[in-house]
Amino acid sequence: MRQVPNIAGLGLVLFFAAFPLVYTGGNYDYVMHVLITGFFYAILASSWSMLAGYAGQFSFGHMAFMGIGAYGAALFSHYFYLTSAPTGTCTEVAFFGNWLVIKNAIGVTSTTLTQDCLQQAIAGWGDSVQVWRMPVLLGIVLGTVAGGLAGLLVGLLVLRLRAAYLALFTLGFSEIIKAVISAEIDITRGQAGMVLPALFDNGVVILGTEFSRTDKIPPYYAMFFLLLLCLLILTWLARSRFGLFVRALREDADAAAALGVNTTRYKVFVFTITTAMAASAGAVQAHYIQIVTPNMLFLLQMSLVVAMAVIGGVENFVAAALGAIFLQIMLELMRTSFSIGGVAVDMTVWRLVFFGVLLMVVLRFFRNGLIAPLIDYFARAGMAEETIAKRAAGAGETQP
Amino acid sequence: MQTPEIFWTVILWMIGWGVLGAVLLRRRYLARDLDTSNVPFAGAMAGAALGPVGVGLLWLRTPALSARLTTALALLAVVLIAAAFSFADPENNCVANGAFRASQITNGIIIGIIYGFMALGLTLIFSILGVVSFAHGEFYMIGGMLVYYITVVWFPDAGPLMGVLGACFIAFCIGAVFERAMLTPMYTGKIDRPVEYGILATFGLAFTLQYFVQAMHGASPVKVQRFVDFPRLRFPDGTETAWVTTSRGNLTLFETVSISNPRFVAAVTCILVLLALLYLLHRTWTGKALRAVSQDREAAAIAGIDPNRMNMLAFALGGMIAALAGALLVQAFSWLPQVGAIPAMRSFVIVVLGGLGSLPGAFVGGIMVGLVEAAGTGCIPDAQKAASYIPAYGMIVLTLTLLLRPTGLFGRRFSSGMHGQGG
Repeated sequence: MRQVPNIAGLGLVLFFAAFPLVYTGGNYDYVMHVLITGFFYAILASSWSMLAGYAGQFSFGHMAFMGIGAYGAALFSHYFYLTSAPTGTCTEVAFFGNWLVIKNAIGVTSTTLTQDCLQQAIAGWGDSVQVWRMPVLLGIVLGTVAGGLAGLLVGLLVLRLRAAYLALFTLGFSEIIKAVISAEIDITRGQAGMVLPALFDNGVVILGTEFSRTDKIPPYYAMFFLLLLCLLILTWLARSRFGLFVRALREDADAAAALGVNTTRYKVFVFTITTAMAASAGAVQAHYIQIVTPNMLFLLQMSLVVAMAVIGGVENFVAAALGAIFLQIMLELMRTSFSIGGVAVDMTVWRLVFFGVLLMVVLRFFRNGLIAPLIDYFARAGMAEETIAKRAAGAGETQP
Repeated sequence: MQTPEIFWTVILWMIGWGVLGAVLLRRRYLARDLDTSNVPFAGAMAGAALGPVGVGLLWLRTPALSARLTTALALLAVVLIAAAFSFADPENNCVANGAFRASQITNGIIIGIIYGFMALGLTLIFSILGVVSFAHGEFYMIGGMLVYYITVVWFPDAGPLMGVLGACFIAFCIGAVFERAMLTPMYTGKIDRPVEYGILATFGLAFTLQYFVQAMHGASPVKVQRFVDFPRLRFPDGTETAWVTTSRGNLTLFETVSISNPRFVAAVTCILVLLALLYLLHRTWTGKALRAVSQDREAAAIAGIDPNRMNMLAFALGGMIAALAGALLVQAFSWLPQVGAIPAMRSFVIVVLGGLGSLPGAFVGGIMVGLVEAAGTGCIPDAQKAASYIPAYGMIVLTLTLLLRPTGLFGRRFSSGMHGQGG
């Protein structure tokens, strides 16, 4: 009995790992896309549940850090190029025999992208000079680092605050990020959005099979492995001393501080890690859908992440991730509009109403979410919670 | 901007000395074993306003930081910023054009009054339930929507007064029902972290309400005719420059400051309702009971006040206030299901600035945020950027407040009754 959650978890991982290979039904690309988006939300929901459920820091700015990651990757791939000869007009530095070119910011112009200094230089060069884009992976790493750094700074600033202030401030922070991205049209191209290269722009060969840039399988596995990586890191964190400290913080920050836990340091640490995860998810997603716009920072997105985490179980990040995947699938299934007795029901909006009601019902009556209690039930193997707690007190910490 | 160097040098100078003042003086006051709760704010303001002189004086004298001293320093810092700006950019519209400045300030105050009124609802909820209502913007939205539906769709004969009253009534009921249905477990101690629960529950309500309205109504913007027309008036009549001239949709003061009818009506109504609310809170038994609960739940319960009923009343009243603000502004702006996000953000900024749970703070904070926004939109050279950055101005104020004086301008040090302590 006690192994049921582990076995089920392993089964799910194997299922999702094998799914794109064995699935032969219709709408292959669409199904894959839904799952990739599900994984994307799963990363956000699980890292948010680590922050909110484990550490008790209710940040509503998680999507802002996702956006920082996405825009970090986008700006990097948009402005940085390697060339084999200097352009003479751009900002450039020598780079191991080649030139690292930083394009000038021209924003959205009538002739779109042909006016920047690099394009003009290319027009003058003809075919004699090679121009390389920066590697996508480097952009993702930089986006992640940027998100983590922003998380560190914001964390240092706000984590002294109490719950209500923290929620308000992070919400405002995400509004600022959105305003900056929308306003700095010269650099971010505002509402026009920025186009990014695909995750594997030149195609990729995996195990002898060649995939083109539009194939869904490589991004599927990229996002899937990113999700697994994030879950592994979170598991490791939760089981280490660190996780213990963080939960002590949540339960009673003053008592934890009195027992010698450096509360601010651990709060900042968990904030940085989870925001870096959100940023990495954002960077990968940006390269996958190949465009970033300020609209991805709408409050709706944050609401979705919060709702997914809460419905899955906010105090268990695996449950939050599962909740995100299942809710994403469910939301897609509920897209089909229908009409009852001549009254057209626009399900694209009504499903969100349903979602909101579900969120409130779960909050009110299933405080630990819908999935986390299942995991707990099997992990306890029918024993009472008190028994588990007593044994755990004797034999160190056990994780459900 | 002609010489941005001047402006940014002054700003950097002020920031530098402000940070230094806040950090150094806090240490100094700590070392002298004095009260430090005001020191970061006063130190930063002294550094920003007077530079090394201010920091040095405070360092040497370590005076008691009265509200008067701090306010004077803060005002001086604001004046300094304004002066630096006008030196750096003498041709800017908001420096060179006095009439423009006057109308910006007036409109800033007017919109600030409306913001402040809305924030009042939020702070009322917080002071009694200890919950920041994330559904505040949605109450604002349904207020406007209901006025539209009542006066235009359902009962085309109903006057605007009926519309506003109906919107308030329905919003009050939604607030009361939501509080009974969702927030009651917070009070019994069944929930480990009631503050977070309240945040999530109201968040869920906001989500549901917004998409419910969108599903029912669709995404097309609506607008309502203005409620009342001004009579055509000119006072004093016959003179060269009239003090007040009105046309049906507009009111002009001294022939320079123009205020549109809907905003004026909204602001005046807000002030009237505010007075009524103050009467309710200070002169009636219910209002006294509300304030008693916000000060000490248990003592209030001993005195025969049912705190749970007060919780319901406070949440419903707070929602109703937001709905009233929306109902008054639906004649000024076009209305969408998403319209609540921006005023909600404003209210959050205002309540933190004024101090969570402080009623006068909310009002003063509202006017300050209105003025900051008017200055921001009026003075930033690039008009398009200025408009996009509107949400950011308030946030700058919010960040400064949280850094320097986390209790806000009028904050009680331990705001709210039993629930405010959590988290």
